[in-house]
Amino acid sequence: MKIEDILTTRNWVGKATPRLEDARHVTGEATFIDDLDMECYQAAILGSPYAHARIKSIDVSRAEQSTGVLAVLTGREVADQTQPIKPRAITEPVIQYAMAVDKVRYVGEPVAVVVAVNEYVAEDALDLIQVEFEPLTPVVEIADALKDDAPLIFEEAGSNVLLHDVMEHGNIEDAYQQADRIVKETFHIPRYSSTPLETWGMIVKYQKATDSFVVWANDQQHGRSITNLCHTLGIPADRLRFNVPDIGGSFGIKLALWPYIALMALLAKNVDRPVKWIQTRTLHLMAGSHAPDAELELELALRKDGKILGLSIKDTENDGSFIHTAGIYALIKFATMVGCYTIPATRAELRTVVTNRGPTVQNRGVGKPAMIFALERMVNLAAKELGLDPIEVRFKNFVQPDQMPYTTPSGEIYESGDYPQCLRKALELVNYEEWKQTQERVRQEGRYVGIGISCGIEPGTSNLGYYYTTSGTPEYTGNAEGAIVSIDFDGHANVMLGSVDSGQGHGTTAAQVVADMLAISPDVVTVNSQIDSLVSPFLGHSGVYSNKFNDVDLGAVIMATKKVRDKMFRIAAHVLELGEAELTLKDGSVQAIKHPDRSVPFKEIANLAYKRILMLPEGVEPGLKEIAYYKSPYAKLPSREDFNVQLTHSNSVHAVVVEVDVETGMVTFPRYLIVHDCGNQINPGVVEGMLIGSTVHGLGAALYEEFIYDEDGQLLSSTFIDYLKPTAAGIPRFETVSQETPCPYTLLGSKSAGEGGSITSLAAIANAVEDALSPFDVKVTGLPMTPEKILRAIQGTKEIR
Amino acid sequence: MPIVRIKINGTEFEDEVEARLLLVSFIRAKARLTGTHIGCDTGHCGACTVLLDGRPIKSCMKLAVSAQGAEITTIEGLAEGGLHPVQEAFKSHFAIQCGYCTPGMLLSSYALLQNNPEPDPSEIRHALVGNLCMCTGYQQIIDAVSHAADQMKGKERIIDEN
Repeated sequence: MKIEDILTTRNWVGKATPRLEDARHVTGEATFIDDLDMECYQAAILGSPYAHARIKSIDVSRAEQSTGVLAVLTGREVADQTQPIKPRAITEPVIQYAMAVDKVRYVGEPVAVVVAVNEYVAEDALDLIQVEFEPLTPVVEIADALKDDAPLIFEEAGSNVLLHDVMEHGNIEDAYQQADRIVKETFHIPRYSSTPLETWGMIVKYQKATDSFVVWANDQQHGRSITNLCHTLGIPADRLRFNVPDIGGSFGIKLALWPYIALMALLAKNVDRPVKWIQTRTLHLMAGSHAPDAELELELALRKDGKILGLSIKDTENDGSFIHTAGIYALIKFATMVGCYTIPATRAELRTVVTNRGPTVQNRGVGKPAMIFALERMVNLAAKELGLDPIEVRFKNFVQPDQMPYTTPSGEIYESGDYPQCLRKALELVNYEEWKQTQERVRQEGRYVGIGISCGIEPGTSNLGYYYTTSGTPEYTGNAEGAIVSIDFDGHANVMLGSVDSGQGHGTTAAQVVADMLAISPDVVTVNSQIDSLVSPFLGHSGVYSNKFNDVDLGAVIMATKKVRDKMFRIAAHVLELGEAELTLKDGSVQAIKHPDRSVPFKEIANLAYKRILMLPEGVEPGLKEIAYYKSPYAKLPSREDFNVQLTHSNSVHAVVVEVDVETGMVTFPRYLIVHDCGNQINPGVVEGMLIGSTVHGLGAALYEEFIYDEDGQLLSSTFIDYLKPTAAGIPRFETVSQETPCPYTLLGSKSAGEGGSITSLAAIANAVEDALSPFDVKVTGLPMTPEKILRAIQGTKEIR
Repeated sequence: MPIVRIKINGTEFEDEVEARLLLVSFIRAKARLTGTHIGCDTGHCGACTVLLDGRPIKSCMKLAVSAQGAEITTIEGLAEGGLHPVQEAFKSHFAIQCGYCTPGMLLSSYALLQNNPEPDPSEIRHALVGNLCMCTGYQQIIDAVSHAADQMKGKERIIDEN
């Protein structure tokens, strides 16, 4: 379907329409999970104090007898009453439950849950639970996990490596043979997280008469959570109603709530009120999921003129011990490994390692930030070794616009984009050459300025089946979403999205599209982006993830609106005694094109559809409410030879000027320019917000943020004073420039916009810092580049890792 | 248990509370004003910012009993008649994404503008340093506060001219 056939007017799509969501936020009327007005009991979780230990015994009797305590749950009961968690990507057989059973594997892992009259009493009761632990040797670092005599995290697997896979595409041996130089480097990816400001929260109510549960949770992927909960609890789908209220940020971190929902469901069965659990920030940072740390080895095979012939990666990733996520990052790194370049041959060796660090989940970008960081650092290092300009090396290897759609060796289809033009624009706008001269000049004054460029790809709309290519038949494939659109009896439009919003302005964006499809104002379009599984559309993967909203979610809104629109035309044609082709939409009416005085208002059409149903034309169903599901038509079933992991590809160039204070190690930003291309933008205000927000996420990872563990596996950065986030005072003034290359694979020509900054920023900042410190011969191989690391590198280690 | 009396947004709330009850819990659970959010419990994120006798404080860092007799303004009490210019500016500048930090951010911004009607961007940045936002990257928030200051100045000028 062409854009002209979708949009009747062009009054709203493409404009920075103010967000419809904001009125509730500025007055405090938004309703987050902890704000729901319900009389609940409160749960508190006893997290393991050890990283690795056997549970010899648990005595909960004192807690149970304590005043105000209503129920206590331990791991044994969880193992008796639930199914183990299902892995997705890993190949080794492992058994894990929603709570520690007999053994703890990370600090903060749930050992017991107490439900009491309020959270104060519940927390107090945790102190009354007596657990006898037998400490085991903790496995904290990747290298420790790989030792022959390493203690096993999951004994049944026989190894701490739960996935080991090698994939070759193109002829990598030929590439190595023809290369003039093989450049090698190992990069160290830290553990970090986007840390949504609202922690995890949930309420579970048990309904005894019907043996059923009602859940409220700030869960970003209710489709999968419902599926997983029904499996874990062993209940049919009709015994679980799932609600999602407003969500205070998610970033992937809220994909891993469901095991905790299962725990609360077990407890709710034993008490006479709903059970509420709101995660503390400390528990969130300890056990609420991270992006995994990793060692990423790259070998780039190049000709001496800078042409890249082959790329080999060896990724060893520390997935902690949450087997549901383990292996997923590795596969996405693999799928993103060639970045913006035509690299004819690739080899990827992927190893997923479990340790006694906290669990991991798919955080913003999922492996793409790590991969692009390593690749874009590598291009600079290779250019240096070959005595070439890193900018020239990029231009030499870019996928060219006339090669689109371009298929990478492993089967990714880059459908659109103009990578050279983005870089040209960035260099010009940031005054690259001028800064190079400034750099020379200020060095005479003892000031160290550097300029860094990074070109990143931002794949979106996950083709879900690839997780399972390691283990056989996919449980999920393709990507789709649903939506319900109606014209109410008063003529206003009403939209129910199939996925939640957690800050992305989905409601506003959908309203803009519906408004232009129906030639009305967004003021008369109400969008509900909360979820109630009783009425919301459902797919097994419904939810917000992988930047799919602009593609399949809006696709579903468009298809449902089209159904409504077609029906309104049919009814209006009958009323006006004209052919449907003779009609158009204007000002909330269906109007005769040639006789504007002849029209039927939506309200009148709705009246016929809802009330005067005997006056409807023959064969037209009553009602004016339609559901539609839309799947990406470009997804293909992935195989090991032909993956196609992601279905749209945005890209960006970050051009960053930094100044490093060599006395303090502090980094400041005289310029930060972003040229990005996410295709046609539906709301540029929303897009810019996510672009800057995701860049600041990357900036935090580049300079400040890291989950640091000691040798016992204790997390040392478990508050926002140790785990340092960017603040309003530490960020640059971002300049953003858009290039819009329409995506041919989405209905509105849009592409993903939520992860880009977090992907491309890391290497840009690292390249800039390395450039600033070139007089000290410093190399950046790891993040974050804290003042301490910078000073040590200047003072002699020569490496920021 | 001590009896605490606190005026919130002009309404008197009186209740018997445990001495350890946090002010934020009093506001949320006793007064049922849930616009004041909890993001960390440790005083670092600023989501629970309210005005206590006109000054911005983190209400998770204060016991309800220690706010005895105080006048509190929460996000629900910021709009008098219509929205305050800083609330309007957050809406017009895309300064909101998930909205969880917004109430605290708005109260810190409001307090800044009360004390410093013409803040430069650096003063705005430093006034908001105790309020974390995980979504926006702050730029549109800083611009919104700056815009609100301009709007308020404009308004006063009109009043002066009259």
